[in-house]
Amino acid sequence: MEIAKSKLSMKSKLGKIIPYLYLAPSVILVGIFCIYSDVFSLIVSFAEWDGLNEMKFIGFQNYMNMFQDPNFLLSSLNTLIWVVGTLLIPVAIALLFAIAITHVKTQSFFKTVFYLPNALSQTIAGIILTTILSTYGLPHLLGVMGFDSLANDWLTVPYLNTLIMVVSSGWQGIGLNLILFIVGLNQIPKEPIEAARIEGAQGIKLYRKVVLPLLKPIMLIVLLMSLVNSFKSFDTIWVMTNGGPYRTSETLAVTMYKEAFVNNQLGYGSAIAMFLSVTVLIISWLLLRDTFKGEE
Amino acid sequence: MKSYNDRSRKNISIFLSIFAFLWFLPFLYVVINSVKSRKEYNLGEFWDLPKSFSIVENFVYVNDRIDFMMGFLNSLFYGAIATTLAILFASLAAYAISSLKIKGKMFWFMLIYSGTIFPFQMYIIPIFRMYSNVDLYDTKIGLLVVYTALCIPFCLFVLRNYFYSIPKELVESAKMDGASDFKIYLSIFMRMAKAPIAACFLFQFTWVWNDLLFGLTLSKSAEARPIMSSLSLLNGAAGTNDVPSALLAAIIASIPTLFIFLILNKSFNYGFPTTSK
Repeated sequence: MEIAKSKLSMKSKLGKIIPYLYLAPSVILVGIFCIYSDVFSLIVSFAEWDGLNEMKFIGFQNYMNMFQDPNFLLSSLNTLIWVVGTLLIPVAIALLFAIAITHVKTQSFFKTVFYLPNALSQTIAGIILTTILSTYGLPHLLGVMGFDSLANDWLTVPYLNTLIMVVSSGWQGIGLNLILFIVGLNQIPKEPIEAARIEGAQGIKLYRKVVLPLLKPIMLIVLLMSLVNSFKSFDTIWVMTNGGPYRTSETLAVTMYKEAFVNNQLGYGSAIAMFLSVTVLIISWLLLRDTFKGEE
Repeated sequence: MKSYNDRSRKNISIFLSIFAFLWFLPFLYVVINSVKSRKEYNLGEFWDLPKSFSIVENFVYVNDRIDFMMGFLNSLFYGAIATTLAILFASLAAYAISSLKIKGKMFWFMLIYSGTIFPFQMYIIPIFRMYSNVDLYDTKIGLLVVYTALCIPFCLFVLRNYFYSIPKELVESAKMDGASDFKIYLSIFMRMAKAPIAACFLFQFTWVWNDLLFGLTLSKSAEARPIMSSLSLLNGAAGTNDVPSALLAAIIASIPTLFIFLILNKSFNYGFPTTSK
């Protein structure tokens, strides 16, 4: 009797534990790779460490050095250019194209064409556009057409190359935003638009006053995704210029990688990663806070 | 009024067509030039139609240069296995969170989902250090585990949402029939979740396939290197001057994602979950 009872309670105890076993693989993997990594990065960002010798804690020195490091400052500026450029091309132009596409009959054709580059990875789009922009490609064509001054390797011109890469990544990245905008536009109920039409709203005014406010939820998703991704721009730059020439086209993600894995400054690299993460979190929070307010 | 609408519609069509053509031009460039020989590309103009058909030579060259095939197969392996494992683990967790008796459901969900909050730049230094210490650096298994772990949060998010929509009555009646929790997970939840599982698979496979950051950081030899890291060797200072081979490699490496694009193309109009990775 006693034994049976303890067996029963053993069994019920086990029964209480078993549901947690379903969670275990996910929690362990995410715990090891994500949560441990976050904590480790935070700690290392306060240390001077080359990965071989012992860690030396130096307080906020890495963070203070950041703001005196010309490479970091330039890279922040480039990242800002990426962010603004992303708002212009993959967001604003995607919206313009989406509105235009909802007005024509061959929607699916245009959707497919504009989305197609998105089926390539950023790395591959980078390789393709690098060869197009090389001296054998587009600049050469312009040279033949008589614009001799344009016939050089654009990607080796500091600052110009960042702009070119922003446009290139716009070519690759416009598709998803475009599709989301079209989905959003098609979902907008017809009644408020008809009502506004009857009251005389047309063209741009109709869009500004009626359609765009209704598109706000999708707009926020697109903005959040695009902003966060533009802050993390890495692949395109890595392939197209590798951050050069003379580290002039680096973004924060590239600078972080180079400091950590080329210059072996793991502490400094972690500090840049922290800076990047906190910036991204603040942006996300600002955008999402607005959404929650809108829902109230 | 009608004629005005028709005319503006036509203008919009022309406007879109011009840009669509611009958007398509790079593809034309790639297709035309990937079949040329290197000599033909370097001596001729890129807008000339190809005279030779050097696909085989170009492939042999690029395969030699960056172990293209090995990278391709590695990425297929990472993409297929890591995504499958992630879906398996995430679905178990989603099942526990949505239907089993556990404490702190929201806590566990947020704990796992927090994996998507920080940019992946936060992870590369710690994982690189950890892998160097336990000899997982530059191994297939090492990259496989990383990809699995990083796919879990997104899959959990999608599957948990779906699992909550499964009617409780179904579960109750299965329990009356004496089905165990695991049986219910397999025969009800997993069976009903085919569509979201497919979506998770396609999206996460694409992410793994396209990843450059972790491939660069955690692998160095061709044995473990994923496809995008291999391709990245083609550009920059150490790159190749053989443009046609690079373009051919770009085409072949895009086949899996183009294939997925074709599958997803059909479901565009229904809207689909997105990831900010």
